[in-house]
Amino acid sequence: MELFLARLFDGLSSGGTYAVIAVALVLIYKATTLINFAQGELAMLGSFIAYILAVEQGMPIYLAIVLAMVLSAVLAAGIERVLIRPFDPADHLPLVIITLGLFLVINAVAGMIWGFDPRSFPRMFPEGDVWTMGIARLRWYTVGTLATVLVLLVLLTLLLKKTKVGLAFRAVSSNLESSGLVGVRAGPTLQFGWMLATAVGTLAGALFVADPFRQLDPTWAQRVLIFAAAAAVLGGLDSLWGALVGGIILGLVESMVVGYVTWIPNQMSLAAAVVAIIIVLLIRPNGLFGSKAVERV
Amino acid sequence: MSEPRRITEGTSAHKVYRYVPWAIFALVAITAPFWAAHTPAFSVGESTLTFSLGNLNHAVAYMVGVLGLGILVGYNGQISLGNSFFMGVGGYITASLVTDNGWSFLSTLIVVLPVCFVVGMLVGLPALRIKGLYLALTTLGLAAVFPSIVRMEQLRDRTGGANGKRITSDLDAPDWAPIEEIGDVLSSIPVLGEWAYGEGVSGREVDGIWVYLLLALLAGAAFWVARNLIYSRPGRSIIAIRDNETGAAVNGVNVPMTKTLTFGFSAMLGGLSGTMYAMAIGFVAPDVFGINLAIFLIVGLVVGGVGTLSGAVIGGLVIVFVPVWASQIESVPGVPERFLRGPTGTFFLGVLLIVLTFFLPGGIVYGLRKIRARFVQVVPPQEVAGGEEVLVSAGDATGGLMSRHGGGSALDLDDDVVDPDGTGDGTTHRVVPASAQQTNQGEPT
Repeated sequence: MELFLARLFDGLSSGGTYAVIAVALVLIYKATTLINFAQGELAMLGSFIAYILAVEQGMPIYLAIVLAMVLSAVLAAGIERVLIRPFDPADHLPLVIITLGLFLVINAVAGMIWGFDPRSFPRMFPEGDVWTMGIARLRWYTVGTLATVLVLLVLLTLLLKKTKVGLAFRAVSSNLESSGLVGVRAGPTLQFGWMLATAVGTLAGALFVADPFRQLDPTWAQRVLIFAAAAAVLGGLDSLWGALVGGIILGLVESMVVGYVTWIPNQMSLAAAVVAIIIVLLIRPNGLFGSKAVERV
Repeated sequence: MSEPRRITEGTSAHKVYRYVPWAIFALVAITAPFWAAHTPAFSVGESTLTFSLGNLNHAVAYMVGVLGLGILVGYNGQISLGNSFFMGVGGYITASLVTDNGWSFLSTLIVVLPVCFVVGMLVGLPALRIKGLYLALTTLGLAAVFPSIVRMEQLRDRTGGANGKRITSDLDAPDWAPIEEIGDVLSSIPVLGEWAYGEGVSGREVDGIWVYLLLALLAGAAFWVARNLIYSRPGRSIIAIRDNETGAAVNGVNVPMTKTLTFGFSAMLGGLSGTMYAMAIGFVAPDVFGINLAIFLIVGLVVGGVGTLSGAVIGGLVIVFVPVWASQIESVPGVPERFLRGPTGTFFLGVLLIVLTFFLPGGIVYGLRKIRARFVQVVPPQEVAGGEEVLVSAGDATGGLMSRHGGGSALDLDDDVVDPDGTGDGTTHRVVPASAQQTNQGEPT
């Protein structure tokens, strides 16, 4: 029982962080029907900016994270304007190639500037446990992460459902051409989507590396991207709340499978994520909560 | 700009135009290792860039990997990023069989090729339902998983775990191979010989050149098979699926079978490339075949040219030599030195990928063809026996509608004859006889 609870809490804590990055992927996908392969790296960059602001500039950690979210959003606006907008949104190959190029460039730039030595990120939540039972510890970090995800999702839902920007965003994601006809300017709206997604990604990155068991280095996002993508696919690529459910399911599967099925080595949790993607795509291509894709032949 | 020179198809001038470049390429390919054996160095600013035989062998191995990816992505239109996985499978099978079981390098291909073909088909099966971006995502996941598979405890005896596996067998040049003699001949060429080829080759250099020749032979075979496949009936099915899947199915192409087999073939070339990597480097490690290689292969494909075979040669060279040269840069004005010790190669490849997608979407091969087309133009024979088919450029007629992929349409292969402007975007069609075409004028098409 204790062991089960311990694994449950582990799964919830990593699931929560996967969910936040999955939310960022979902935002981009909703806006552009594009999977941003550089999303993980953008989150990594954002977490480094937050680290620099907090540790080297001595800012309070929350202020540093908010500022990093703003800075990375500005960067994303530039990336969208310069690298993404010139291409036809319907043709996927060039866009995939551009985001893969961004993946390499951001990864390399972070490695060149900050090196590959692991650093420890400042704590965002109080140390210690909310509740313990033997070896099962519900950490403040876990509670804080899940609470942050919930607040974030509520805010995003309000933003998309209640504001004019949100309405434009939904219009563009539902039909690019028709939204243009009724006067929504697609370019700036998609740019807004990129900014929003990257800011969320930065928050996700900060949350991920704020775990006392993890450290900050330029490679952390490569594994996490696959997990987050699996979470997003599982929940349905265009469903924000689906991303949360997908992330938590994936986190639980990871900790339970590695915990209980002893012949599966620790390293293979990534493979479990990939297998999850394949199974979901084969059996339920729109995920658990995604809207059905209608194909016109 | 003066008019380009016109060469009529079928004349002797056309033969010269077609075959002389190949002869030059073969000559360069054969003499390059003798040059590289002395590791010629170039000074750029304060840095010294080298061209070594080891890197050249490495590049030849990657050429086949890029070729395999190019068949799948460029000709079949399935956006896959997972070919590094198959390279890893091939490389590790070869490393293990050679070191643990004492096989020779080439005989491991008996295992590598079928295994990769079958595994590739198995991966290709879900790809029938998973398309476009989803396929890219899934295969990227596959590429990311490979390092953790070979790090598994249960496989440590075979794979060497996280430390990688050194292959304890040398590829020594046999006595009958006249490599030293060729080196002597090359260095006895007046003026140029001594400067380029030094005092000939000896010792370890000979073994290196022997490995190069083996690799070049394997790569040549791979390109030959790939070319024959693409230009044959199955090849046209492969391309038709890229251009219009529904249309291909309507025309009787077995779409699922063709896609799965293409996946298998591509994976087989990936496995061959992995074996060649093991031959060239003599060492395999988990992170060599990770997510970065997966993306590097895409860089090679895009830089060389999506939808070309020859682009893979350029692509393989680029993804090996750009990182090597980037790491040899000692100083750049205005850039802190510690930046240059970071992963500059990855940075340059990423920038190259983005810049080329913007300015030369067809890759270097199309760029070269464009330049060539300004000087030389191949035209079909003017006189045609009555009623036979003639080749007419229909690039204007279709308004480029058929060339969505930057690689031209199904009928627009690497062939110069049907590609008069040389850019690859002027689509060409086999059309009805000229007389019949006259009567059709004015009708909506």
